[in-house]
Amino acid sequence: MEQSNKAHRKTKEKNTAKKKLHTQGHNAKAFAVSAPGKMARQMQRSSDVNERKLHVPMVDRTPDDDPPPVIVAVVGPPGTGKTTLIKSLIRRMTKTTLNDINGPITVVSGKHRRLTFIECPADDLNSMVDVAKIADLVLLLMDGNFGFEMETMEFLNIAQTHGMPRVLGVTTHLDLFRSQSTLRTSKKRLKHRFWTEVYQGAKLFYLSGVINGRYPDREILNLSRFISVMKFRPLKWRNEHPYLLADRITDLTHPEKIEREGKQIDRKVALYGYLHGTALPSISGTKVHIAGVGDFPISQVEKLPDPCPTPGYQQKLDDYEREKMKEEGNTTVTPKRRKRLDDKDKLIYAPMSDVGGILMDKDAVYINVGKKNEDESFVPGQERGEGEKLVTNLQLAEKSIAENFEGVGIQLFSNGTELHSVEPEEDVVDEEEEQDKDGDKGRANMRNPRVYGKSVQEEDDEIDLDAIPSDDENNDVEEEGEPRMVEIDFENNGKDTNTAETDSEFELSDNDDNWETGVASKLQANKTKRRRKWDIGKLIYMNNIEPQDCIKRWKGEDEDDENEDESDIENEEQDFFTKKAGITDQSKETFNDLEKFVPYFEKMEKLVEKWKTFDSINDRFIGASMKSKKESKAGDSNEDEVFGDFEDLEDEPENEGNEDVVEEDDGGAQSDDSFTNFDKEEKKDLTMDEERELNATKKEKYRKQFEIEEGENFKEDDPDNEFDTWYELQKAKMAKQLEINKTELDDMTPEQRQKIEGYKAGSYVRIVFDDVPMEFIENFDARFPIIMGGLLPTELKFGIIKGRLRRHRWHKKILKTNDPLVISLGWRRFQTLPIYTTTDSRTRTRMLKYTPEHTFCNASFYGPLCSPNTPFCGIQIVANSDTGGGFRIASTGVVEELDVDTEIVKKLKLIGYPYKIFKNTAFIKDMFSSAMEVARFEGAQIKTVSGIRGEIKRALSKPDGHFRATFEDKILMSDTVILRSWYPVRINRFYNPVTSLLLEKKTEWKGVRLTGKIRADMKIETPTNPDSAYKKVERVERRFNGLKIPKAVQRDLPFKSQIHQMKPQKKKTYMAKRAVVMGGEEKKARAFMQKVLTISRAKDEKRKSKKADQRKERLKRLAKAEEAKIDKDKEKKKEYFAKNGKRSSTTEDSRSSKRR
Amino acid sequence: MSSNKKSPYVSFLGSQNFRLRIVLSTLSGKPIKIEKIRSTDLNPGLKDYEISFLRLMESVTNGSQIEISYTGTTVIYRPGIIVGGSHTHNCPPSKPVGYFVEPLLYLAPFSKKKFSIVLRGITSSHNDAGVEAIKWGLLPILEKFGVRECALHTLKRGSPPLGGGEVHLVVDTLLAQPITIHELERPMINAIKGVSYSTRVSPSLVNRMIDGAKKVLKNVGCQVNITADVWRGENSGKSPGWGITLIGETKKGWCYLAEAIGDSGAIPEEVGEMVAYHLLEEIESSGAIGRTQLPLAITFMVIGKEDIGRLRIAKAEIDERFVVLLRDIKTIFGTEVLLKEVDDSSDHSDDYIVTIKGNGFTNSNKKIA
Repeated sequence: MEQSNKAHRKTKEKNTAKKKLHTQGHNAKAFAVSAPGKMARQMQRSSDVNERKLHVPMVDRTPDDDPPPVIVAVVGPPGTGKTTLIKSLIRRMTKTTLNDINGPITVVSGKHRRLTFIECPADDLNSMVDVAKIADLVLLLMDGNFGFEMETMEFLNIAQTHGMPRVLGVTTHLDLFRSQSTLRTSKKRLKHRFWTEVYQGAKLFYLSGVINGRYPDREILNLSRFISVMKFRPLKWRNEHPYLLADRITDLTHPEKIEREGKQIDRKVALYGYLHGTALPSISGTKVHIAGVGDFPISQVEKLPDPCPTPGYQQKLDDYEREKMKEEGNTTVTPKRRKRLDDKDKLIYAPMSDVGGILMDKDAVYINVGKKNEDESFVPGQERGEGEKLVTNLQLAEKSIAENFEGVGIQLFSNGTELHSVEPEEDVVDEEEEQDKDGDKGRANMRNPRVYGKSVQEEDDEIDLDAIPSDDENNDVEEEGEPRMVEIDFENNGKDTNTAETDSEFELSDNDDNWETGVASKLQANKTKRRRKWDIGKLIYMNNIEPQDCIKRWKGEDEDDENEDESDIENEEQDFFTKKAGITDQSKETFNDLEKFVPYFEKMEKLVEKWKTFDSINDRFIGASMKSKKESKAGDSNEDEVFGDFEDLEDEPENEGNEDVVEEDDGGAQSDDSFTNFDKEEKKDLTMDEERELNATKKEKYRKQFEIEEGENFKEDDPDNEFDTWYELQKAKMAKQLEINKTELDDMTPEQRQKIEGYKAGSYVRIVFDDVPMEFIENFDARFPIIMGGLLPTELKFGIIKGRLRRHRWHKKILKTNDPLVISLGWRRFQTLPIYTTTDSRTRTRMLKYTPEHTFCNASFYGPLCSPNTPFCGIQIVANSDTGGGFRIASTGVVEELDVDTEIVKKLKLIGYPYKIFKNTAFIKDMFSSAMEVARFEGAQIKTVSGIRGEIKRALSKPDGHFRATFEDKILMSDTVILRSWYPVRINRFYNPVTSLLLEKKTEWKGVRLTGKIRADMKIETPTNPDSAYKKVERVERRFNGLKIPKAVQRDLPFKSQIHQMKPQKKKTYMAKRAVVMGGEEKKARAFMQKVLTISRAKDEKRKSKKADQRKERLKRLAKAEEAKIDKDKEKKKEYFAKNGKRSSTTEDSRSSKRR
Repeated sequence: MSSNKKSPYVSFLGSQNFRLRIVLSTLSGKPIKIEKIRSTDLNPGLKDYEISFLRLMESVTNGSQIEISYTGTTVIYRPGIIVGGSHTHNCPPSKPVGYFVEPLLYLAPFSKKKFSIVLRGITSSHNDAGVEAIKWGLLPILEKFGVRECALHTLKRGSPPLGGGEVHLVVDTLLAQPITIHELERPMINAIKGVSYSTRVSPSLVNRMIDGAKKVLKNVGCQVNITADVWRGENSGKSPGWGITLIGETKKGWCYLAEAIGDSGAIPEEVGEMVAYHLLEEIESSGAIGRTQLPLAITFMVIGKEDIGRLRIAKAEIDERFVVLLRDIKTIFGTEVLLKEVDDSSDHSDDYIVTIKGNGFTNSNKKIA
């Protein structure tokens, strides 16, 4: 059967409204604003978001290539799982299991990223302060069961004052929650609390339980990924200072010295670590601060090969090697590019921990020999296997190799002193390490060729200082080194070539006299040598060469170079001599007159001669160049003659220069001409592209010309610059400057770079300090981080620091003036005695006895200066044993001003009493004790308590110290006269650095005690001035008698002044007399109302009494319940303590002793 | 510098560069000890003007300590902090005010308060900076480093030997750090301007000087604009005198300067000519900056941000003064300067580029608002 369908009906082309919109080829509505309000809100929001992203533009001085490792600090209260977290992360990143975490651990986490993990000791506030200053990223651990603990809050607040690093919250112990819902709610609660503390939306990680001594792999993986892609903003303080987190420390003091002089002697200590922040200047004697130890001048810095290089860096080295191989003609292997880290690249460097069973500690290397309960190994005589035997044999050795060679030095010269090695074995190891590494990737550490101007003794130190890391420039420097040696050789008349190589410049200057004559005779023979140039850059800094000599030598060379084309050597020689004499004379003159402002100029005649034409400087004038070009053709021929006539040696270099310039000018002019010709003639032959290029160059030329003539406008002022916002402009400027820095530094030789730049961040250095207190070494504990921070010149000075300060709102007590406060400012932590002040309408700084409760005040204290705008925080007590569980950060503030002294005053009120009162004059007693004192205050403003103002006039002769004063009105005998004066307060110059790292118990640093503590310890009562006590004000009602005027007087008074007193009325008034009688309607209404009110009152009474009854009933019930509850609680407590009392007290002990 | 470790002072020998050393010490905050000041001289020890300079330093700083030995040949200077403020200083007749103003320019931008100092004495001399030289020659250099609001007002002119002049130095800019500058080109001079001044002499002298200078500079190819500045009456000091200062101005803000004063018996035209020639010499022997301005520029570059600044100087500028300057800077700041020859193939000049990394100095004296 066939199905019959309706025929398909085509849809009609309807011209709908929608279609109509599309008539123009696009949907007209698509780009119209449909909801203007919403759009406005969206725009508002997006601009808000954008604005919030902006920060004050700051230069990031961390080098892009090979940056220092990111310092990841793991912070948290004891027992939150810090060690476990580090272990887990290390295991995740390097596949190494650490038994014990000690000191910083550096691992490679990516192609260009390394991480240094440090564990912040939970029980040490000092370490927390130090760690907050250097950490780039803080993993803030908290116990999910407790939430934020005091340590966490303290750390966050410390970190905030020292330029908030990135903070990542990590919550642990979440497996202890039984129900899922409580877990969820507590997670949420924690998160929000964390957000208020850090910032909205801060990341908080949740780690559930511990499996196999580690956190779950998946969670750790997530965390590690998060860490390794994290970006960091530069922080101001760190962007201005070099700093280093020591990952290794060595005592370099000679053991014999310790033995000889006892172990109390100051030590020579080397710190190892990656440099962070800005470049560390390479000048010896630069002072740095070691947190918890003190300020020390650096005696030596040495850049060491990177113990934990990133794959990116290694790749660069490989590339370089390959290039070199290519140059040498070897076949090249195409590099393998990897997307993920190779296992061999997953390096770990932790000299203080036990990586791979080896523990490098202080000055020894320990090998982990297994667990105690196993069979003892490494027992002498019972070795198991060859390896053990080797080790035990080593132990048997009585003297080390170095000790065997003790006291044997190397004598380089017959008259030289014996050179002794300064550093013990440790260094030898280092160098061996270096050399080992050199084996496969070329010399990594470049020892600098000798530098001039150092005595032999000095050199010993200097060389190390100048050791330069460059693998790249290796060869260049070596090549450069040699010619310089030859040069000295020449200076010494070529007599003793061997010694000259290591000669010092002192000898050189001694030989100066021979030099000139010697040179002359040897000139011809030495010609090839003479052509070696003195480098002015070096000459300038050779302090033993007189400045004029310096210039002479440098110029002398040039003279020669210029003359060298001349064949007549005889002639030249003579020139040379005459010239020399001239220069010395002239230089003598100028040298004596160095203070002279006007520089040296030629004699007038010479000048006249010289400046017949301005061709030599024509290119320096705008507009002149065009004019001169026309003339130059004519002038050209004359010019040579002009100069030919005048063969003054003095002027030669300049003339030479001039000629060059002129020539160039001509060249320019010619090319200009040819350019136009070219333009005309060959235009037809050009292709389109060529023509365009031509036009472009032409345009460029005009543009430049325009720029020169108009002067380069300062881009910032130019509204049409290419940057939309000020922010972008600043960013661009900084980027430009950084680029310039980079290119300029890259252009330098490594040696120069070292001098100019110093040791840049990211390099692994060894810094040696002399005279470090022995306690630093003896009481060294790897748990406590050692931080070295560079100091700017201001920070070396001491003075008064004025800052704005506020008591921390979580600190329980207000702070007392002159009570010791540990201030963490810059790198330093020090105890000082601040005086809190306020300004009285900016006229004076008045001392406050205590900090105000909820507002800022000013604080002035003595200490090492630190530039304004540096934040600081104050802590009252850092010793663990002295603190009760309160919040320890007592105050936060910021440095406002530095000064050498300040004027702080406190109010002093002198009180006196009148004993004789005339009209407006009164005699005042008891304010001063002598006439002299009065004399000091003559003319001073005084005031009575009732507010009558006056002035001190003169001392009275008779009772000593009494004086006459006048007032604006007559005062009363009962009045008290007050003289308000200001008494200067001196700031106690007390500075006590917190040397916590020198202590054996590092958490127990105790400085000067607080006033309250001293009083408590010594059982002194707080002195109270009875006058200062607040008493109830009792004011006696003053009764004044009425004014009585005698009748006689009254009678004589004029009418106006008469006292008008009316007689009392005798008759009753109408109002008093009348009687009101109610009647009719009104009376009824009254009666009715009274009835109603009576009823309602009775009702109320009833209700009230009922309610009172009920209340009584209820209270009774409540009391009963309360009683029952108390009973129950008592029961519970009894039960609990019967069971747990003893155990909890023991765990408490173990908690404090045990470190987790 | 091993000796530094033992003694707390950075030590110097001799009287040379006295002001600069004191200034550098003040900027760096390092105490210095200058020994053997004219110890072999017939008249040993500090001169009166140096003492006066130390006085001035004491007044513009707070907490400075100056110890001068009995013979005056040794000075120990422990710098305080630069406070500035308003002061009046009477300069001794042996040195003009320029001698005192010049070092103040180094300190003024880095003080706590604004500098407003009135100096009384001679306003021009043969050897030291004249008022115009500072106003037109040094202040523009300061401006390049960000010190925009500085001025030197001549209240009275005073010619040597008796002086009687009065100048007012006002520096209102308090910088945190000088701007890092880059000048790799020789700037082009667009005009020569100058001042020809006289006190208590016939105004014709002034015009004759201008004529002399213009005669020389006639063909130089740019605008020459020399103003006559004749001082009469009570503001013209106690002695007759006359002089001329010429400045080569560039669009970029750099400038070159030459100045001289006339002695009694000198011919004004000749003095004018001489200064003109000196200016030409100065232009020829300078890169971006003249010899007289070099110490100021170099010092400001050294105390700049921790960035690299570059300045083009001519070979002729590398002289003893330059060497001593750099050595002093190195002794105090430890900063070394890198000299690089210009390897620009287009111009065959023997200029050098001075490359300096600033030492990250910040003006810590300034109070935050």
